Amino acid sequence: MIGAVNTPAIRLRGVTKRFDRKTAVRDLDLEIPHGSIYGLIGPNGAGKTTTLRIILDIIGPDAGSVDVFGSPNVEAMRTRIGYLPEERGMYQKMTAADHLAFFGQLKGLKRKDALARARSGLDAVGLGDRADDKVETFSKGMAQKAQFLGVILHEPDLLVLDEPFSGLDPLNVELFKQLLQERQRAGATILLSTHLIEDAERLCERVCMIAGATKVLDGRVRDIKAAAGRRDIALSFEGNPTFLDAPDLIEDISAHGTYVEVRMLEGADPQALLRRAVDSGALISRFELIEPSLRQIFIEKATEAGLSHEDESEDDEAAA
Amino acid sequence: MNPFTPRVAAVVRREFILRVKSKWFLLSTLGLPVLIVGLGVLSAFLAVRGATDAGEERRLIGVADPAGLIGDLLIEEFLADSLDAVRAADMEAVSVDEARTRLAGSSYDLLLMIPRSEGRRSAEMPGATPDADEGEGDDERTTLLARASVPSVIESSVRGALQRASVRARLRSIGVQSIDPGALLQRTSFDVINVTESGEARSQDIYRALSFGIAFFFYFILLIYGQMIVRAILEEKQSDIVEIMVSSLRPWELMLGKIVGVGAVGIAQMAVWALVFALAAVYGLTAGASTLAEAGIDIASIPIPWGTLVLMFFFLVFGYLLYAGMFAGAGATISNEHDAQQVMLPITMLIILPFIATQGVIQSPNAGWGVILSLVPFFSPLVMPARLFATSVPVWQWLVSLVLLGVFVLGAAWVAGRIFRVGILMKGQRANLPQVLRWIRHG
Repeated sequence: MIGAVNTPAIRLRGVTKRFDRKTAVRDLDLEIPHGSIYGLIGPNGAGKTTTLRIILDIIGPDAGSVDVFGSPNVEAMRTRIGYLPEERGMYQKMTAADHLAFFGQLKGLKRKDALARARSGLDAVGLGDRADDKVETFSKGMAQKAQFLGVILHEPDLLVLDEPFSGLDPLNVELFKQLLQERQRAGATILLSTHLIEDAERLCERVCMIAGATKVLDGRVRDIKAAAGRRDIALSFEGNPTFLDAPDLIEDISAHGTYVEVRMLEGADPQALLRRAVDSGALISRFELIEPSLRQIFIEKATEAGLSHEDESEDDEAAA
Repeated sequence: MNPFTPRVAAVVRREFILRVKSKWFLLSTLGLPVLIVGLGVLSAFLAVRGATDAGEERRLIGVADPAGLIGDLLIEEFLADSLDAVRAADMEAVSVDEARTRLAGSSYDLLLMIPRSEGRRSAEMPGATPDADEGEGDDERTTLLARASVPSVIESSVRGALQRASVRARLRSIGVQSIDPGALLQRTSFDVINVTESGEARSQDIYRALSFGIAFFFYFILLIYGQMIVRAILEEKQSDIVEIMVSSLRPWELMLGKIVGVGAVGIAQMAVWALVFALAAVYGLTAGASTLAEAGIDIASIPIPWGTLVLMFFFLVFGYLLYAGMFAGAGATISNEHDAQQVMLPITMLIILPFIATQGVIQSPNAGWGVILSLVPFFSPLVMPARLFATSVPVWQWLVSLVLLGVFVLGAAWVAGRIFRVGILMKGQRANLPQVLRWIRHG
């Protein structure tokens, strides 16, 4: 394996990409550690796809540098990378086994080996009996499985997935997650982009949030949440709610049916609120400090940075 | 660096196998020989039909000869040729214009009007075109009025009869009676044989026909396979697979794979055709050798010019690569069938133009402009092979032609590669010319 384990699998330095007058990616620094599952999150049009394409050397950056496995020569790393773009078509007239073998060959496998792997892969996802059928006869769910197999057939050390779960049926979402975790256990680094922040929150150890072509924050999900602090309280009670009228402690309140969610002011002490509640004679059945969701953090940070949620830059327009 | 990396080979292999296994390949490969045989049979059939039709359908020819110059002789000739003809005394006093209006009401299907000529010249040769200063409109010319369109067999019968009758009239006027005009008018045929520098003899007509055949064949191949390239690239875009491809190989590798893959299909197809025609030649020609011999064609005397064939193959391959590069670049700028027609048109014109030029070059293969065209890339893939067959081309000419063509192939590949690199990821609207030029400049 090229590069020591403490070298990041991917390192971006000051990467900028403009299309005409639109800036798709602005001065992006990124380090993706070996063996991690890393999420690139942000709204549609934030610059995620462009970032992935730059990492894969499909398009070149206007400024900045890209290293993959410690080498600036991404071309030489292509056989170690598997890429699942958002648009993931297949040649309809080819048989599934032939098609997957073709993908394998593009990634440097010998045809015989590629064909054998294609068959066993199709077997493993329950498509063994359809291996010699043309792709055009496949249902959407079957095609999705085949597409994913095409990306992992050559057992890449780096998997890059653009919106991997969009449009998947629920069973395939589970299968994909399982296969991804298998690859991670085998030592692979996984980079995925998604606009569904909840997906990233469940699957990724680390995330990078981008909005408006700019990085908003990145790091371990755990650390990001810890840094955001525990300012939200889930509260259930019976009795007079007057104690909630506390502008010195509380920033915001939202009702959620059986409970209310209270957002404390920055630096305010939740214990003070609890004392006032008890003193008011309310019967408290739940008082819980809850973690903010990644989505909340993201929206906060993006607003702080003055970036609108919907963005002006387009990342699906690749050509200048 | 060897451009044929294993991944390029994989693209070539996929392209080749899928296309060779397609119905299109089967139909077109077997279709062409069937078509050629079919056309041959059809034209033979039509020729026979035409002849019998003319014979069955009797037409009455009226001969109006007011001056009585050759009318009787003409009728003799017509009758000898088993055509019905009578003197049209009722039409002799009228002008051509008037006769035209009266023809429908008459009993004649055809009316041959001999001018009432004063000059001895016209009297001697009524069929001849009068000199410009003598000519005074239709009445000074021999005219054939016909109610329906005249079959070419009858037209040539009339021409022959007119010619023989006027010869007889002229012979008679100088006192010769007993000579058969047929013998006087007999055509003397002769063969034109080109002698090459090495003293080799080549029959001009056969080689001209072959030149045209080869130019047409190349034209056809370049058009068909060029369009196939565009389709192959559209397929990438329309099946949303392009991004996976370019994450695995360089755009130029994808382009190269497509061009070589489609080209290999072409070579396979031509190999099948060559085999079919070779077999047909062996079987058919041995069987039909006597017929051909009667027609004065001695198959064994036509040498197969292997050197020329190999050279032509190079021109075909280079020509294919030149146009394939351009078609590939064009294909990368579009994402639907509709736009395909538009971007292909200018390139198609670049194939049609040389083909048209080729037909002139075949007539005079060593004329200055023909030589120049056979050196100019875009023209040379069609014009030079045609010249190679039609005449003996000096070595320097085909060498220069081939080198220039090679330079243009590389140039076209470079430009196409730049366009392809950006264009292949484009979706939706067709790229406009300024955009494409920007891609070429900046890549």
